[in-house]
Amino acid sequence: MGVAPLGAKARASRWQLMPGRGTVSLFELVLLAIFVALVAIRLPQNLQDVVIQTFLWAGLALAWNIAGGYAGLISFGHAAFFGLGAYTSSILSVNYGVTPWIGLWLGGLLSAAFAAMLTLICARLRGPFFILSTLAASEVIRIGALNWATLTGGAEGFAILPIPSVANMIFASKTPYAALILGYLVIVYVISKVVEGSRYGFYLFAVRDDEDAASAAGVNPLLVRTGAMCLSAFLTAIGGSLFAQYFLFLDPTHVISPELSFQFALLPALGGLGTAIGPVLGSIAITPLSEMLRSYFGGGAAGLHLAIYGGVLVVVMLYFPSGIAGALERLVYRGKIRHDRAP
Amino acid sequence: MTTIGQLVFSGILIGSIYALMSIGLTLIFGVLRIVNFAHGEFLMIAMYGVWAITRYLGLNPYFAVVAVVPAMFLFGALIHRLIINPGLNKPHLMVVFATMGLSILMQNVALMLFSADLFDVPPMLGGRSFTIGPFYAKPELLIGFAVAVACTLALRFMLNATYLGKAIRATVQDGEAAQLMGIPVPRIFLVTFAGGSALVGLAACMMMPLFSVFPTVGLNFVLIAFVIVVLGGMGSIEGALLGGICIGIVQSISSYYIAPAVGQMFFFILFLLVMVFRPAGLFGRKGEATIGIND
Repeated sequence: MGVAPLGAKARASRWQLMPGRGTVSLFELVLLAIFVALVAIRLPQNLQDVVIQTFLWAGLALAWNIAGGYAGLISFGHAAFFGLGAYTSSILSVNYGVTPWIGLWLGGLLSAAFAAMLTLICARLRGPFFILSTLAASEVIRIGALNWATLTGGAEGFAILPIPSVANMIFASKTPYAALILGYLVIVYVISKVVEGSRYGFYLFAVRDDEDAASAAGVNPLLVRTGAMCLSAFLTAIGGSLFAQYFLFLDPTHVISPELSFQFALLPALGGLGTAIGPVLGSIAITPLSEMLRSYFGGGAAGLHLAIYGGVLVVVMLYFPSGIAGALERLVYRGKIRHDRAP
Repeated sequence: MTTIGQLVFSGILIGSIYALMSIGLTLIFGVLRIVNFAHGEFLMIAMYGVWAITRYLGLNPYFAVVAVVPAMFLFGALIHRLIINPGLNKPHLMVVFATMGLSILMQNVALMLFSADLFDVPPMLGGRSFTIGPFYAKPELLIGFAVAVACTLALRFMLNATYLGKAIRATVQDGEAAQLMGIPVPRIFLVTFAGGSALVGLAACMMMPLFSVFPTVGLNFVLIAFVIVVLGGMGSIEGALLGGICIGIVQSISSYYIAPAVGQMFFFILFLLVMVFRPAGLFGRKGEATIGIND
């Protein structure tokens, strides 16, 4: 927590204008109201698709942020967790008739178990070594999924038959999907807020910022890190199951690709690492832009949206390292001091 | 027996070419302590450069060295000036994400310029192979092997014997002390980054006759390069050569006896095993991966 300068009057209220740790802000409530409105009003199909993807990516970016932003475990292997979730619920529902409403929890647990294993193996690695290990682990999963064709359909992909019913978690219109995925986003957001305001959250920040000091103060870094990675993997896998139910088609080269892992990491980096609002802002800034550019230019300028994305990312990293959330905050609180936020 | 021998022999040759591609990465990591995630894209644009020279000037791809290596040196210097240097005093993460952004940018600009088609150059000698004793080898592989070994030796000589090499080693040992002794550390960083990029240019000239180029070619190779660099001990140049040869042998044997795709899986598993049991790499100094580099 930031130390308030002497004489500054700390605000007693937990209601703030801008998002902070452990507080509910006006900004967040307005954003939520806008999101609910976007689900409720009858948008054209293609815009609804953009809204759904923005929600889904925001949720996934938030899930990544629990490990990458709060615990400092920069993972470029989250596509493996995503893929495990997507494939588990889909295979269970298509081959064994288990409803995805149950399958998504099982996918989450499987993913969390894999994350625990990976973190225990790699926990002592630092910086680039940890990043590269997660990347390698997700490649092992991708190549495994590609070659275990009897289970996953291999490179041909795995299709879910579009039979709309609530039990199948398949809907004829896009509105229920939008509501479902907004629900996912809200749950992941609330979990993020609870984590960052809790004692456990402070353990995470402590381990991220100075592991030696944290462990001297009695925090077990391995335990704390593993917990964050498992929670993050669990939530990512649930996002993967929802993705599968929405697109109804999976193939390893797209669902477990390194590009996907990079995307999970880059949205929070762009929006503001280690804050709950950052990943959401990152997704709002990037997902509609890339979807629109993709649909306007189509095949004519393949790659344009990603080229812009890459360029924006470089500029943001060099000139606004605290991302959109940081820039916004500086704009609102120009010259004023906040009391509810760590420096 | 001859099959195994042939597989090991081909593995050594192809592995040395992988090593050549990784030397630049390991040099940059060893000196600047950053991982350049756009390394694969540097290779990709250099390969397009070689392809364009071969296609439009009708030259042999090996002559492209004259143009591509200096061009990559300048490109590396430019990227260092614009992206790496401003990021060096920021948290480690910023450079990771900035180079990642650069990689996405370069990949997709290439996609817009060249489309997703595969481009090749014609093989040498109409694709015939040499026989050396009982083994067969493509001439392209032999040239690549010779260049990789020569390059490793030259780089080792440069680091040990020249003033620049000594300045680089001093910077690695203790940047502040080197600065106080009058070594222009920022310029050493610039030269190292540009030199690492030039080495990728050299690797591209050796690889273009063997592989096709397409916008995402870098991703395939950069993953191999990361594995090699870690196997060899990050920052070790001989380590990269040996690591590359290990990977080459693992790949050629496992793709022959099992399946090509599974061969890839093997070296990622090998990588994870090395990370678990010898985090400093097979040939690296102890404690390298666990000390807080750039934290």
